Amino acid sequence: MTYYVFTLVFFLFDYFILAMGLNIQYGAAGILNFAYIGFVAIGAYFTGVASLPANTLGQQYILGLGLPFPLNTLIGGLAAMLLSVAVALITLRRLRTDYLAIVLISMSLVLYDFCNNFVSMFNGADGLYNVPEPFAKTLGLSVNSFIPFFACVAGVVALIMWFVMSRVTRAPLGRTFRAVRDDHVVAAALGKDVFRMQLKSMMIGSFYAGIGGGLLIQFGGSFNPTAWLPGETFVVFAVLIVGGAGNNIGMFVGALLVETLLIHLPAFLPEIPGHPGLIEYFDLAVVGIVLMLMLWFRPQGMVPESVRRAASFGASERPDGEADDLELGTPAAPARVAFESGDPQ
Amino acid sequence: MSGAGLLGSAQSVSQAVALHCEGITKAFQGVHAVNGAAFEIPQGQITALIGPNGAGKTTVVNVLSGAMKCDAGRAFLGDTEITNWPSYKIARQGLLRTFQLSRELGGLTVLENLLTAPPHQAGDSLVNVLLRPGSIRRQEREHAERALHLLEVYRLYRHRDTRARELSGGQKKLLEMARAVMASPKVLLLDEPMAGVNPALIDLIGDYILDLKRSGVTVLMIEHNLNVVEKICDYVIVLAEGRTLATGRLSELRENTEVVKAYLGEVMDAGAAR
Ligand SMILES: Nc1ncnc2c1ncn2[C@@H]1O[C@H](COP(=O)(O)OP(=O)(O)OP(=O)(O)O)[C@@H](O)[C@H]1O
Ligand SMILES: [Mg+2]
Repeated sequence: MTYYVFTLVFFLFDYFILAMGLNIQYGAAGILNFAYIGFVAIGAYFTGVASLPANTLGQQYILGLGLPFPLNTLIGGLAAMLLSVAVALITLRRLRTDYLAIVLISMSLVLYDFCNNFVSMFNGADGLYNVPEPFAKTLGLSVNSFIPFFACVAGVVALIMWFVMSRVTRAPLGRTFRAVRDDHVVAAALGKDVFRMQLKSMMIGSFYAGIGGGLLIQFGGSFNPTAWLPGETFVVFAVLIVGGAGNNIGMFVGALLVETLLIHLPAFLPEIPGHPGLIEYFDLAVVGIVLMLMLWFRPQGMVPESVRRAASFGASERPDGEADDLELGTPAAPARVAFESGDPQ
Repeated sequence: MSGAGLLGSAQSVSQAVALHCEGITKAFQGVHAVNGAAFEIPQGQITALIGPNGAGKTTVVNVLSGAMKCDAGRAFLGDTEITNWPSYKIARQGLLRTFQLSRELGGLTVLENLLTAPPHQAGDSLVNVLLRPGSIRRQEREHAERALHLLEVYRLYRHRDTRARELSGGQKKLLEMARAVMASPKVLLLDEPMAGVNPALIDLIGDYILDLKRSGVTVLMIEHNLNVVEKICDYVIVLAEGRTLATGRLSELRENTEVVKAYLGEVMDAGAAR
C-alpha cells in the first residue's frame, strides 16, 4: 500500500517539475512547445548513461560515466537544455505560434524515430535498463524502501526548483517573457531581443524537462522509448491547462488533479471483470474530456495567473488621483483587418 | 523637389539633425506604400508628419523604427546608420515609437507595461535573477517609483494594477505614450497620438508632447488635425503617395499650391463641411 501511495507522490512531484518547465515556455513566453516530451526523454537518457557504468552486458550506449545522484541528473538537465538551444536556433528565429508548433511536433516525431533506430547510441527499442537506484546501495535500501525514499528526494528537488522558478517568474525576466508572449512587436519596439528571450525561456524550461526526465528514469530504473511517445506531451499540457497557465502553484494543483488523480490512480483500481486494461484506456479519454471542459468553462485554469501589484515593489504610495475620473473617450478602437499576423500598424 | 533640401536651406544650417532618411522605398505585393521618402528631423523640436490616408506615413514610421525592412533607402539616427536594423537595436539607440492602433501588453498590468520599458534592466539576465536579487529589487523600486509618477501624470494611476487589455481605447492611447516615455527616448515617433481620444484629452496630450520637447526629446508625430499641428509643431513634413512633397513651417506650406492641392485643401474642405 505505501508502495502505491509513494508512487503517486513521486509522479506528483515529477509532473510538478515538468509542468513548471512547460509553463515558463508556454505560460510565460507563449512558445507552444509540442516537442516537450522529447526534452524529457533526452534528460532521462542522459541521466541514465551518466549513471550507468562504462560497460554493461547486452546494452549499447554512450558515455557510461557511473556518476552518482545528483550529478547524473544535472547532466540530464543540461543535455536537454543544450538540445533546446539547437532546436531554438533552427525554429525560433523565423517561426512563431502555429507554424512553430507544427514544426516542433514533427521534430519530436523525428527524434522519436531516431532514438528507436539509432541502436548503437540508444540501444534501439529495448532502451536502457538496470539504471542504478540512487543511494540504494549506500543506504542499503530494499526495493520497498527505495520508493518512499526517492519520492521524498523528488519532493526536495521539486521544492528547490519551485523556489528558483518563482524567482524567475517574479523577476523582470519573467515579465519580459510575458511581454514577448502578449505582443512581440511591442516588446521589440521597447528594446527587447525577442529571439534571445524566447531562447532563454526554452533553455530554462528544457532544463526542467531534463531534470524531470532524469528523476523518472532513476525511479523506474529503465528508459523505454515507448514511454516517450510524442502524445505524452499532451498530458503535460493537460496538467498546465487544468492547473492554470502562468501560475507555478497551479502547476502543482494540475499535477495533483491530472497526473495523480486521473492518470495514475485509476491504474490502482480493481480491474473490471472480463476487460483487463480497460481502465487504462479510459483514463486518457477522461483527460481529454476534462481538458475540453476546462477550456470551455475555465480557460484560465484552477489557479489563474496572478498579477504583481504595485504595492509589492516598495515604491511610495500616492493618493488615487481625482483627475483620473476625467472621461477618457472612446471605447477600444474597432479591430481592423490585419494584413498579416503581427502586422505593425 | 527634395524635402531635405528645403529644410536645410530655409532653416539655420547649424540646426542639428536627430534623424534623417533618404530614398526610403517600401512596397507590399506591388503596392508602393513608400516611394523614395526623404526628410530630416531637427533635434529637440516637434515635427509633424502629415499627408492623406494611405500616404505611407505609418509605413515610414515602421521602417524607421525597424518594425519593417525597407526595399531601398537609408536611415540615420544622428550619425549612426540604422537602415534595416532589428527594432530592438534601434530602440536601444534611443528611438522609440507608438502604434496607430494601440498595442498594449494585454496580460500585463498597466504598471508592468511601463516597467517593461526602461533599457538595460539587470533583471532581464538569468544570472542576475539567481545571484543578485537585491540589486534587482533596488532597480525595480526605482523604476516603479518613476513609473507610478508617470502614471499619475498620464492619469492612469488608479488603473496601475489593472490588466492593460481591460482599459478603454483612450486609456490605451495614454498608456502607449507613457510606456514609450518610460523608455527615456531621445527620439520619439508618435503615430496619431490623439486619434480617437476625447476632445478634452487632446489638449492634455499636446501638453505632454510639449513637456517632452522641454526635456530635450525630439518628436515626430503623425497627425491629421491641423489645429494641433499649428499649435505644437515646429516643422511639418508632407507625405503624399509615398513621397516627401514638402517640408517647412505650416504657414509656409499653406502657400504652397501643390501641398494645398494634395492635402491641406482636402482637409480644409472637410473642416468647413463639418
Ligand atoms: N502590411 C501591409 N501590407 C500590405 N499593404 C500595406 C501594409 N501596410 C500598409 N499597406 C498599404 O500601404 C499604403 C500606406 O499605408 P500606411 O498605413 O503607411 O498609410 P498612412 O499614411 O499611415 O495612412 P493613415 O493616415 O490612414 O494612417 C496603403 O495603401 C496601405 O494599404
Ligand atoms: Mg497611419
